[in-house]
Amino acid sequence: MSKFFAGGDSSSESSSDEEELYSEEEEEKPKGQAEDSSEEDSDEDDEDESEEDSDDEGAGKTGASRFLRGDSSDSEDSDEERVKTVKSAKDKRFGELEAIIKAIDNGRKINDWGSISSEFDKLNRQAPKIGEGKQIPKVYIKALVELEDFMNETIAKQKVTPKKMNATNARGLNAVKQKVKKITKDYQDQVDSFRKDEDAFMESEDEVPEPKVKKSKPTDLYLDETTAAEAANDEGFAAVGKGGKVLQFTPESILKHLRGILESRGKKNTDRLEQIKIMEKLLEVANTPTCPCGAGSTTSTMPLDQWKAAEKDLQSLFEILEKNKDHIVIEGAEEWEDDDKPPTVGEGEKYLKVPGSIVSYVERLDDELTRSLQAIDPHTSEYIERLSDEGNLYNTIFQGMLYYEHLQKDSTLQIPQDSVNRIVMRRLEHVYFKPATVVKILEENAWKNAPADAESAVTPAEGIIRARAMLCQIYFLALHDEYYKARDMMLMSHLQESINNFDVLTQILYNRTLVQVGLCAFRKGLVYDAQNTLQEICGSGRQKELLAQGVMIQRYSQVSPEQERLEKQRQLPFHMHINLELLECVYLTCSMLLEIPLLAQTGSSPDIKKRVISKTYRRMLEYHERQIFTGPPENTRDHVMQASRALAAGEWKKSITFVHSIKIWDLMPDTEGIKTMLSKQIQEEGLRTYLFTYAPFYDTLSVSTLATMFELEDRKVAAIISKMISHEELAAALDQVSATVIFRKGVELSRLQSLALTLSDKAAALIETNERTLEQRTQGTANAFDRRGQNQRGGHRGGRGGRGGGRGGGGNTGPRQAGGTQFTGGALGAAVRG
Amino acid sequence: MAEYDLMPKLVGHLDRHMIFPLLEFATGQIPEDDDAKAREITKAKYELLKTTNMTDFVGNLKAELEDLDEVPAEFNDMRQKVLTRLSQFEEDTSKITDLLGREEVVNNLRSDKVANLEFLKKEHEVTIDMVNALYEFGNFQYSCGNYGAAAELLYQFRVLSTDNDKVAAATWGKLASEILITNWEGAVEELTKVKESIDSRLFNNPLAQLKSRSWLIHWALFPLFNDEGSRDTILDLFFSPPFINTIQTSCPWVLRYLAAAVITGRGRTRNSGQHQKQLKDIVRIVKQEAYEYSDPVTDFVRALYIDFDFEEAQRQLSLADELLRADFFLFSAADSFLDAARHLISESYCKIHSRIDIKDLSTRLGLDQDEGEKWIVNLIRDTRVDAKIDYKEGTVVMNHPPSSVYQQVIERTKGGFFRTQVLSAAVAR
Repeated sequence: MSKFFAGGDSSSESSSDEEELYSEEEEEKPKGQAEDSSEEDSDEDDEDESEEDSDDEGAGKTGASRFLRGDSSDSEDSDEERVKTVKSAKDKRFGELEAIIKAIDNGRKINDWGSISSEFDKLNRQAPKIGEGKQIPKVYIKALVELEDFMNETIAKQKVTPKKMNATNARGLNAVKQKVKKITKDYQDQVDSFRKDEDAFMESEDEVPEPKVKKSKPTDLYLDETTAAEAANDEGFAAVGKGGKVLQFTPESILKHLRGILESRGKKNTDRLEQIKIMEKLLEVANTPTCPCGAGSTTSTMPLDQWKAAEKDLQSLFEILEKNKDHIVIEGAEEWEDDDKPPTVGEGEKYLKVPGSIVSYVERLDDELTRSLQAIDPHTSEYIERLSDEGNLYNTIFQGMLYYEHLQKDSTLQIPQDSVNRIVMRRLEHVYFKPATVVKILEENAWKNAPADAESAVTPAEGIIRARAMLCQIYFLALHDEYYKARDMMLMSHLQESINNFDVLTQILYNRTLVQVGLCAFRKGLVYDAQNTLQEICGSGRQKELLAQGVMIQRYSQVSPEQERLEKQRQLPFHMHINLELLECVYLTCSMLLEIPLLAQTGSSPDIKKRVISKTYRRMLEYHERQIFTGPPENTRDHVMQASRALAAGEWKKSITFVHSIKIWDLMPDTEGIKTMLSKQIQEEGLRTYLFTYAPFYDTLSVSTLATMFELEDRKVAAIISKMISHEELAAALDQVSATVIFRKGVELSRLQSLALTLSDKAAALIETNERTLEQRTQGTANAFDRRGQNQRGGHRGGRGGRGGGRGGGGNTGPRQAGGTQFTGGALGAAVRG
Repeated sequence: MAEYDLMPKLVGHLDRHMIFPLLEFATGQIPEDDDAKAREITKAKYELLKTTNMTDFVGNLKAELEDLDEVPAEFNDMRQKVLTRLSQFEEDTSKITDLLGREEVVNNLRSDKVANLEFLKKEHEVTIDMVNALYEFGNFQYSCGNYGAAAELLYQFRVLSTDNDKVAAATWGKLASEILITNWEGAVEELTKVKESIDSRLFNNPLAQLKSRSWLIHWALFPLFNDEGSRDTILDLFFSPPFINTIQTSCPWVLRYLAAAVITGRGRTRNSGQHQKQLKDIVRIVKQEAYEYSDPVTDFVRALYIDFDFEEAQRQLSLADELLRADFFLFSAADSFLDAARHLISESYCKIHSRIDIKDLSTRLGLDQDEGEKWIVNLIRDTRVDAKIDYKEGTVVMNHPPSSVYQQVIERTKGGFFRTQVLSAAVAR
């Protein structure tokens, strides 16, 4: 896997993340010219990073220098002059030099260390000639530093990839390493000064390939040594431990280096990868654990290997913190000012506070994973591979949580509750949609890594986090068929009243939860509840959008690219998706079971108000009925529609066959159970439909005939008929002696009677309309209609008003209120409120 | 029936002293020869009352448990201690009780508590400590089992004290005392007071409200099934939204008592419309809570009103009958429950059927044919259903007149005139 791929990947990614990189425009120009895409990408990372850690001192400084153009323009001018003189004098040699550098560049591109090594030798011979002993050409310095970077990068890669370099390459690499080390030391001053005005230098010389010089002074110095140590390690000269050259990396100098890194962090063109390396080295060397705070910088938009490295870093950070309990990482701690002395625990203070925010690091890591999952095609093995990282991430989050809880036990620290909440939430969001077995595995792994004395307590939370936590729990319960618990919690939470005030992500979570509760109800055989719950999401025809599982392409909508991008960002990774086809199937089946008897009922008696349960379903049914020829059903929808028609005609067996042949039921747990449940429901609803449809044509019907027709028990048939009679749906009575249903005569209305009823309805509607008109005119200020509430009329008002969240908020979900009231147990929650 | 025993659930919401009658009842239930069980209950009694000041009784229990002839010595010590404290308390409160016993002092008391206290302070040198001593003493008396005295003391305390928390506690105490001396009228009075205090005092604490309400509901069961007069008040209380929600949320088992109370209330309430409403409510709630709680009583309601399965209803009824006879609160109502439940079955049966075989109905109600016929005649007379008995066929024939279309039209247009008037008034403004 070449770095080009990795680089390309993340650059496309970061361009979709524009809103985060508000300063990216500055980078546009160099980006266009840059040759080495992996370097370029690390530039961006840096930008990214500087924002992320804007609380750091270093970033503040660089921010200032970046914007204070006035300052730098001076040096720019002088620089330019100097360069020009050099050029005119040593034009020819200069050309040669550039050719060599080009060759090195080429060598780098193909990773050919052999040629790089020889070219580098040439370069070294050539350079002093130009400089004539006193001035070293800038280009040379630049090349030197560039090479050094690449070298480090290669070494880093070498570590990650198991593939061994071939012998020539390895030898070349080593040679270069040694030489570079020596030379950089020789030209230390130049390198430093170069470093200082690099920006100006670059800008003045556009023809030079984009410079890749980075690292502020101390880093550089340090780097040399590190490289040496590294080299030693790599080559198996492990004997050269901390004792030899590395000796100078006492904690004092480490601090210095760190400071340097922090300061350079926000700057243009600082190489992140390198910094990560340095940090890692530092971590190894550090005998006091003060330094790890820098490790936080390792999180950014990153390709796979970087992500992994960052994850590892964080892990080791936790380990270090675990070992050294007197050092804590805390937000807003003061920076250690004195670089030369190792920080010591102050008088009367228990801890050494290190600035940093673990929760931010963890969150960042988490976000990155999600983002990369969004970008990867879910049907490739790459996706699955990436998904496996989730386990590690979960462990990290878990450790972070434990760490915070550990901190919280000491009240003197005043750890904000917020951090713990955030991290707990992250953890929750990784598990809530998973089945219990998977969660168990995750948990086991997590605890395995946890120190033995760690304990976790549930922490209470406020506001939006609380809402999210509740939703996660409800989702989890619903997923595990705990319908009543989930429903009660949903009602108790009163979220349906306030969900519109939450951010879009929470609303999406709410929608997901709602759908899951609906599916759960269906699995339980509670068709009515399932339909009611799903109605809001599925009836809207915008399931995809509401569940953040794909952007709807709307023909006439005016969506700005901005909105579209936002929406894309909200999309859930594929493994979290709820199967939309299954959802539709469940919804339509439920609608069928409710609508068909209703249609039959209203069909036979015109005076019953036309009540529509699901508009979507009705529309589909009408469309289906309009077709002249209906072929065999192809998709889920066809199946349900044909089943509906069969059910309406009383052919319940055919209906069952249609419904059973829907393949998607296989995705439900306990498919057979679901099918049996559906058969039973269809039988019963079939009987009801039959009675509604054919009652006018019969005087009496024998219960046992009905029972054989619908293959139900006599007792069940009698119970169903009793229910219908009792609810006044059927004008009939049972004759116990002969076991028959006697349909009452004279129930059918005469023309005049039904017209009279219609007239009375119309009159009522007229009054209603009048009232509404007046209300609109007076903007509801007329209190005259308060009475109407007592009369229990005009209940239709307000019900529809909620719709209209509209497209504006992207995933906004329209009317919430309706969803809440649909739960039959609406009173439940009120108990708590009194 | 053991699985339907609510004792473990109930005791969590009752006071020690109230649990005792329940245990007594349980003693009565166990068969003569089951010594182990009896012993178990005695032990339970002992554990229950151990912490109270009823030393004599506890001592006896202990003696019984350990088969001693005499009460163990430590109980005599405790008894002595209790007696000393008792006299101590009497001394502390003698002055104030004396004062409150005097006509002229009581006559000077007004409804304003602060002023009262002020008055007593000025005229009779009563301190706030003395008032509080009343409370302590009341508590102590209650613990000794002198509920009457406790009620009296707590009443006096409540008249004088301005400490809201203690007043609330005293109200609970008084309620408990009234219940234990079976003064139902007083209990219902206290019940309303406690309810009001829950509503107002704990306004900002929904959880505490919920808890207090579930306690109150359990305590109210005592008067509900023991006093005819308080039944309507308490049922109304139970059916008020906050309380019905409490039942649904925290103690669904109370549904058994609620359902039983509603069903037995059939013939008794003067207002049949209200009874209908309560019945409808209970059906709705039983349906909603079916997943959380069910026993033969609620199953009976379900079978009859939700599933319309008369055979099942009959089966559940016999189970429920057995259950009721083993329930502390319901055993006295078992007969009327059976009777009322039969009525409900036949009522619902008649509504749905147009011709019923008397023999069949009689077996369904658990009666023989002659009794069944009498029963049906009574039913027809009582409920004024339009029905006739065909003696030759042995059937009852129902006549269900369809609701008239004209009546429907009238119903629908009834409100129109009024609404139009309101409308025109609003326009005119």
